[in-house]
Amino acid sequence: MRFLRERLDNGLEIIAEVTDGALSTSIGFFVRTGARDESDDLWGASHFLEHMVFKGTVDLSADEINRRFDWMGASANAFTSEEDTVYHAAVLPSQQHEAVDLLARMMRPALREEDFSTEKLVILEEIRMYDDQPPFGADDRCRAVFFGRHPLARSVLGTVESIQALPVEAMREYHGRRYSPGNIVLAATGAVDFPALVESAKRLCGSWEPCPTPDRRVPVAGPGHDRSEHIVRPTATLEYAVRMSAGPAGDDDDRFAAKLLAVALGDDSGSRLYWAMVDSGAAEHASCHHHDFLDAGLMITQLSCDATDVAPLLDRILDVYREAAAKGIGHREFSQARNKLAGRVVLEGERPRRRLFHVGLEWAHGGVYRSVADNLRIVEGLTADDLQRVLSRWPLDGPGVTVLAGPAGAESSTPASARA
Amino acid sequence: MPVKQTLFSTTLDNGIVLLGEELPGLESVAVAFHSTAGAIHDGQGRCGLATLSGEMMLRGAGSRSSRQIVEDLEGAGVQWAQAVSMSHASFSGAMVARQLADALPIYADILRRPLLAEEELENARQMVLQNLAGTEDDPAHRAILSLREIHYPSPWGMPSEGLSADVEMLTVDDVRGFVTSHVRPHGAIIAVAGRIDWSDFVPRIERLFGDWTTGIADAVATGPRGPRVKHVPHDSQQTHIALAWSAPPYHSDESYEATAALAVLGGGSSSRLFSEVRERRGLCYSVSAGYQTHRDFAMAMCYSGTTASRAQETLDVMLAEIHRLPGTIQEAELERVKARAKSALVMQQESSAARAGAIARQWYHLGKVRTLAEELDRYDRLSVRSIEEWLEKHPVRDLSVVSLGRDPLEVRDAVSP
Repeated sequence: MRFLRERLDNGLEIIAEVTDGALSTSIGFFVRTGARDESDDLWGASHFLEHMVFKGTVDLSADEINRRFDWMGASANAFTSEEDTVYHAAVLPSQQHEAVDLLARMMRPALREEDFSTEKLVILEEIRMYDDQPPFGADDRCRAVFFGRHPLARSVLGTVESIQALPVEAMREYHGRRYSPGNIVLAATGAVDFPALVESAKRLCGSWEPCPTPDRRVPVAGPGHDRSEHIVRPTATLEYAVRMSAGPAGDDDDRFAAKLLAVALGDDSGSRLYWAMVDSGAAEHASCHHHDFLDAGLMITQLSCDATDVAPLLDRILDVYREAAAKGIGHREFSQARNKLAGRVVLEGERPRRRLFHVGLEWAHGGVYRSVADNLRIVEGLTADDLQRVLSRWPLDGPGVTVLAGPAGAESSTPASARA
Repeated sequence: MPVKQTLFSTTLDNGIVLLGEELPGLESVAVAFHSTAGAIHDGQGRCGLATLSGEMMLRGAGSRSSRQIVEDLEGAGVQWAQAVSMSHASFSGAMVARQLADALPIYADILRRPLLAEEELENARQMVLQNLAGTEDDPAHRAILSLREIHYPSPWGMPSEGLSADVEMLTVDDVRGFVTSHVRPHGAIIAVAGRIDWSDFVPRIERLFGDWTTGIADAVATGPRGPRVKHVPHDSQQTHIALAWSAPPYHSDESYEATAALAVLGGGSSSRLFSEVRERRGLCYSVSAGYQTHRDFAMAMCYSGTTASRAQETLDVMLAEIHRLPGTIQEAELERVKARAKSALVMQQESSAARAGAIARQWYHLGKVRTLAEELDRYDRLSVRSIEEWLEKHPVRDLSVVSLGRDPLEVRDAVSP
């Protein structure tokens, strides 16, 4: 694997992890924009814009875009998070030029009023779809309460009301401001012809006008004390709980140890939470994972179980966390978790389209490249002391926010929905 | 683009089929054990027995306790999985290649020496029941389960996950009887892909599985199928629509024509359904057409989820597009379908787990593994004419229709009698 990079005069960065002999090429435009960059008037605009990018440019219709992706045999899609909007395509190496050409053109969408009105209906369907599914908004609400006035409080999809109220002019202004070449990384992995990639980028993106983008980091206060909320869903079968407490941020070296700690404590199988409540069938699901943002980190616990069991099981989870902090992680379970994480690093490293997201996001966030071998070295270099330090720096039983969603309390006088 | 492919196969004296594919450039290896202990053998009033048995097999085997099995697999860095489908109980794992020698004896214990201890039964049962409760909260999944139930003849339409009332009644003797009868070498497939050493793998499997002879084979009779149209009341904002009709099974050469026709209908973002239902009308977020096959029969299916008030229009447009397909397929549409299928086939070579699964599936359906070259060649031989001829011979009829949501829908079906 070789890492190569280039920067155009207008600020667009081009990076590639080239794997000789790879069977495919993955291409992605990583735009540093997401829900945290929105205001109340623009709530949901990043994600809605992601959809609109597929609706065409001044000289390409939506149908043509869809046909061209299918014609090149691409596995193409996009996603929007709190911090990033990513457009990606995996193709056979012979289609690299076509894929870059199409994605690059799409970054300058027409944003036609008619398309905007039709796609608004699709966004509203997507909001309703997620609203009908577990955890029934508990995750979004938990993050909103945890972050309070911080930009990370905002949900990615927006609300039915914010989407209905959004005018196309506001989206055009947002696009002009956020899709500046200096705010975008063009990344490629697999069998990449790097000189051709740079040539394509110069021709297609070289004329994009740059504009300044402000620093996005905002100090995080956190909740200060435990808080909890309940969203009543009378027709749900299970109760769903999401708990968030502070963890290491994206620029903190302890984030790797935090991810390993989460595997030991709350992986889907073989972890402490698994043996404490999933193995016995007391819970349908109980897990812990770490998520990092630019300026914040979260330890996220998720539980689903019978509504009558949710309170004692949440208490039991906190006991599991306290016991780990008091007695540490044993040698055997530590090496089990580390080997499991190392195995994942190797397996994910074999697929260019998985590598694309790691390579692209790491670069977009911190201007850092780490090979699969670098990641393996980090995982294999972690010790039980590192996990202990994470447990004491970010106590899992410390101030956190818990949001429940489900049938509990449906018979009481609680309002039908406590959703913000 | 030429892709070098090295395939291996052999059959042990007891009937176990071993399949291998060497994938150059990978550090990993994936292994998959498929036994024929699928949910079609559940039996009347015992829906969920195969799933409960699969779970019980992991809860202690040979000299390993339930916990040791998981610790031994994960301690070796194995990304493991267990699944029960209608036709198979499968245990699989992907790992760095050097761990394979340590992992194989664990799987041999699970398949050959499960303890099936009475004290594990309640925990296993509760786990299965929890999963069933979770399924209740997944409306799209429930719609597809209902579709299978009404479309396939019994017992193929039963949910492999089980039925709560039946799972509640199962005993440890049911589980022991099921494992003894159905987890057996005959019909079993062991597939390995990635950085493999076939000359080392075969004797290892011989030592671990060569003297395995237990079990008796039995056939499953198929019964009647359900009503063609079903509404499942569910208090949700969206209504979920699922449609099915019969398609040729995978072993039939015509399955290529059938899957190509389905891909034109709803297989990509330039497909008819995506264009008409989502892009032009904004009726939904999800809409697609697909293909699901068993060994002897298969179904073509379409799915969409949309707001209750627009569900009727969505169903009407879906039916109209299905009806419009014969006689209208364009050369350009077929070229896109071919490009997508061929590209996906080549990219599958990048995943050891995907290939181990694929070669096992092919053996089950075909009794052989198709080479990549054969598959690419078959796609090249697809033509608009061959697909149109197939559509003409096999008009869409006897549609099964499921709606899951607040209100039932009217099936204004121009294509069913």
